[in-house]
Amino acid sequence: MMLQIQRSFDREKGVWNITPKGDVDISTASMLRSALDEAYRENKADIILHFDDLNYMDSTGLGVIIGAYGRMKENGNNITLKNPRDNIRKLLRITNLDRLLCPELCE
Amino acid sequence: MADMMKFSVPGKPQYVSTVRMAISCLANSLGFDVEAIEDIKIAVSEACTNVVCHGTIGNGEYEVCCELREDRLVISVVDKAGGYDPETHREPCLECPKEGGLGLYIIKALMDEVEIVTEMGIGTRIEMVKYTR
Repeated sequence: MMLQIQRSFDREKGVWNITPKGDVDISTASMLRSALDEAYRENKADIILHFDDLNYMDSTGLGVIIGAYGRMKENGNNITLKNPRDNIRKLLRITNLDRLLCPELCE
Repeated sequence: MADMMKFSVPGKPQYVSTVRMAISCLANSLGFDVEAIEDIKIAVSEACTNVVCHGTIGNGEYEVCCELREDRLVISVVDKAGGYDPETHREPCLECPKEGGLGLYIIKALMDEVEIVTEMGIGTRIEMVKYTR
């Protein structure tokens, strides 16, 4: 499978941990969108996207995350990316989305 | 004369990753470093995504042409969907934010040279160049 997504809600911290594995592109971006939307519908809380095992993402994935970010911000929630690989770091940097989605890269 | 490779690709989302992998192998065999290969993979995917979202009629095919030169790889993604006027509004697409504008921005940021030629009534060609350092 090109993309697998695991999600779990941390009740103690009140955050979603979502871990996509594989590639996010035009054929799999809708899976990421559904995972984010379903999680947020279930529990309106911050989302941490763990990118340790995400090999590839392009503008289709960024679009999904920006969309979710916008909807969550309206309710005061946040979405944060953790441990993106070098190729995804570069994508975040050139689009200036690192400050918004992955502040750890700008520290 | 430079070697050429051409792929004829169905305009469906599931084949974009196949093109990405093929071009990645090609770039690797030409001696590009890991960062350049990743740049090329994203740029090609963005160009193909643009075609799949906006540049095919039905599930029509498009072409990905690779020109293997001594000092560079030239990749052209060519559709025959009638071209478009960049000044006019294009149909919004859920898969590509800002109507594909972000994709083109990324391509230009990652590749050394980018040329977009659109001919009304014919189609659009995105030509991308990456130099082997």
